[in-house]
Amino acid sequence: MLLEMKHITKVYGSLYANDDVHLTLEKGEVLAVVGENGAGKSTLMKILYGLEQPTSGEIYLNGALQRFRSPHDAIAKKIGMVQQHFMLLNPCTVAENIVYGREPKKHGLFFDREAAVRITEELCGRYGLHIDPRRRVGDCPVGLQQRVEILKVLYQDADIIIFDEPSAVLTPQEVNELLRTMRKLAEMGKSIIIITHKLHEVMAVADRVMVMRLGKYIKEMPKEETSVEEMSYLMVGRRIVERKVAPQKTTGTVLDVQDLVLAGSDEKNILDHFHLHVDGGEIVGIAGVSGNGQSELIQCLTGLLSPTSGKILLNGKDVSGQSVGQIREAGCACIPEDRYLWGCAAQATLTETAIMAHQYRPEISSKGLLSGRNTRAFTQSLLEGYDVRNSGQGQKAGELSGGNIQKLIVAREIEQKSPLLIAAEPTRGVDIGAMEFIHNKLLEKRERGDAVLLISSELTEIMSLSDRIYVIYEGRTAGEFRKEEASEESLGILMMGGKLHEAI
Amino acid sequence: MNSAYIASIVNSTLRSTTPILLAALGSAVCSRVGVFNIALEAQMLIACFFSIAVNYTTGSVLLSVAAGIFSGALVGLIVAVLQVKYRAADMVIGTSLNLLVQGGTTFLLYLFFGLRGVLNDPKLVSLNKINLPVIRDIPFLGRALENLTILDYLCYVIAVLLFVYLFKTVSGFRTLSVGINKSAAESLGTKATRIQMRMVVLSGALCGLGGTALSMGQVTMFTENMTSGRGFIAMAAASLGMSHPLLTVLSSLFFGLCQGIGVALQNVIKSQLTMTLPYIATIVALVIFSRRGGGARAKKRTGGL
Repeated sequence: MLLEMKHITKVYGSLYANDDVHLTLEKGEVLAVVGENGAGKSTLMKILYGLEQPTSGEIYLNGALQRFRSPHDAIAKKIGMVQQHFMLLNPCTVAENIVYGREPKKHGLFFDREAAVRITEELCGRYGLHIDPRRRVGDCPVGLQQRVEILKVLYQDADIIIFDEPSAVLTPQEVNELLRTMRKLAEMGKSIIIITHKLHEVMAVADRVMVMRLGKYIKEMPKEETSVEEMSYLMVGRRIVERKVAPQKTTGTVLDVQDLVLAGSDEKNILDHFHLHVDGGEIVGIAGVSGNGQSELIQCLTGLLSPTSGKILLNGKDVSGQSVGQIREAGCACIPEDRYLWGCAAQATLTETAIMAHQYRPEISSKGLLSGRNTRAFTQSLLEGYDVRNSGQGQKAGELSGGNIQKLIVAREIEQKSPLLIAAEPTRGVDIGAMEFIHNKLLEKRERGDAVLLISSELTEIMSLSDRIYVIYEGRTAGEFRKEEASEESLGILMMGGKLHEAI
Repeated sequence: MNSAYIASIVNSTLRSTTPILLAALGSAVCSRVGVFNIALEAQMLIACFFSIAVNYTTGSVLLSVAAGIFSGALVGLIVAVLQVKYRAADMVIGTSLNLLVQGGTTFLLYLFFGLRGVLNDPKLVSLNKINLPVIRDIPFLGRALENLTILDYLCYVIAVLLFVYLFKTVSGFRTLSVGINKSAAESLGTKATRIQMRMVVLSGALCGLGGTALSMGQVTMFTENMTSGRGFIAMAAASLGMSHPLLTVLSSLFFGLCQGIGVALQNVIKSQLTMTLPYIATIVALVIFSRRGGGARAKKRTGGL
């Protein structure tokens, strides 16, 4: 037994983030720790990596009791972690990032950057992970940045490598590459722990699976003896119903974007003659690696940015360049991609959050005065109708958990009852239960005959909800699919800027 | 305008640059580790006072300089503890320290010496004026470098040393990494908070040396609030020099030049007007700089969302 974590308990205030959890790891093994958000997986790993101290419990390495007060201690015992949010120095080179912490020196004082490059090349060769050591990390795509993180851990000579939600930011091709890398490292004798809630990845890469729910250890089993269905049942504690979306007739075009251009600061356009249309009664998905113009597209559609040229027709009326208020008036609601930046004010109460953009409705206010009774009743209807767990309407929006504040924002925007709803990353960082709920609400909106534009970096979300799918790449419409024509592979290739015939 | 006149402007530019450059280097090391230190003014002014106070009591130049550095570093330590360790708001800490030191030095002047506003005494010893043997006989250069003190040369050496430390050594690389991404540095076992605190104390020492250069360089005296905004000019110089030690030398020389010209012109134009020149230059420079900076930020925002 290489690693053993026994009776790990971590208490924050009155919350048990980990409650008597056990974990074991053998040499050369890939262990998947699965669970919903808030199940305590990350806390457990932070304890193992020395970022958090357990309230009680022990960690044994090769049978010897350990105490990790900081990552420094864990690194010294050959435990490395590939963080979900990359811990990189963007202005520095790949080589500088990799040797950080154990830099090669000249005359005992000076940083030998040439040696760092040589070390990196040698390391890349040994593990078959290729990357240009002199490239600036900030210029590398996300997949390569993750590779830098992995190489960093390997340079620290880690025997145990923790991957925290490693595929969250990757394209399908990059995910496959990553899973291959993990298998290869395990074959070379490294032990790997992967934290994830993507069960098909677990099936592809893990030897053994451990399930956690609400801070508790639930069960563990060899991969061969389990299935995606069993794992999701154990994770959520109830059956998740496979969603069947019945095809339905669409009504006329609600949103028609023609030849939309948004000039960038250099010659390249951020949005480059982009086009799409969304009909009533359908959900249209936009798939793409984040940073390919999705954010700017949303901002153009909602009036936060003024496009350089092109038309945005909402119910036949050109709204491009109009103000946010005018566009909302014309029938566009939006679940913004970043709930804290655009979606709510952290210091606002739930009542205030709920009536944002509803404030001029006659039942909410008249002659510029808000009706206290009606706003409270309206807020209560949203909180109850959308299952937002709260401790009263006076609670601050920032105090709700991510899933709950997201549900409130979704509620507020859907209750605009607008002909068009833009849903940007509607389920980013929320747990499976809330995700299922939000998805159902979007589908209800579609059934009512409204148009929904769904922008998401989760391909599975796009594929399961959308009637039609566009792929955006460098601000262009790189492809359009009907639901039944789309596959993860074909979308993935277009998302990476490839051409479709390369796929077939 | 004859060459002697230009040489005298160069001379007064160099003298004016020294305090600004030393404080600007202090500001630069702070922003390089991601600490927004606006207590530079306090760090300088306290050194002006204590260097002169120790000078008056002991008559030793060396002890006076040490007192300046030490008192500046002490204020730096207060900033480090409150702002870095206990994460107090930088604006509040900086502003209150600046005000506190301004009032405090005036008060101490009265308390120790019974004086109001000014401590100027013939028994005060000034820093040695250096007139380099060969160079002093070269017509233009001799005048330009006339009567400079050791600090007027030392500040450039310190700038170069800081550059070498930050950009060539391993320890400097770690220091820079704290400013680039503190949590990344911490995740790799770098004691980021400690490095930040160390740099703030260093900035206090540098400002302390700058304050000493002010009170024992061109003149040897202490007057109430004698830094008169040089700490803020230094912040402008550091941000104009993109917190790079060598570029900061250039930007500090620019502000030094503005003061030098101001001094040179005070016989031509009303001195009240020429005295404002450095401050106008600061505003103009900051506007130009923030335009550039703002552009970069806006770009990052559209790219990052």
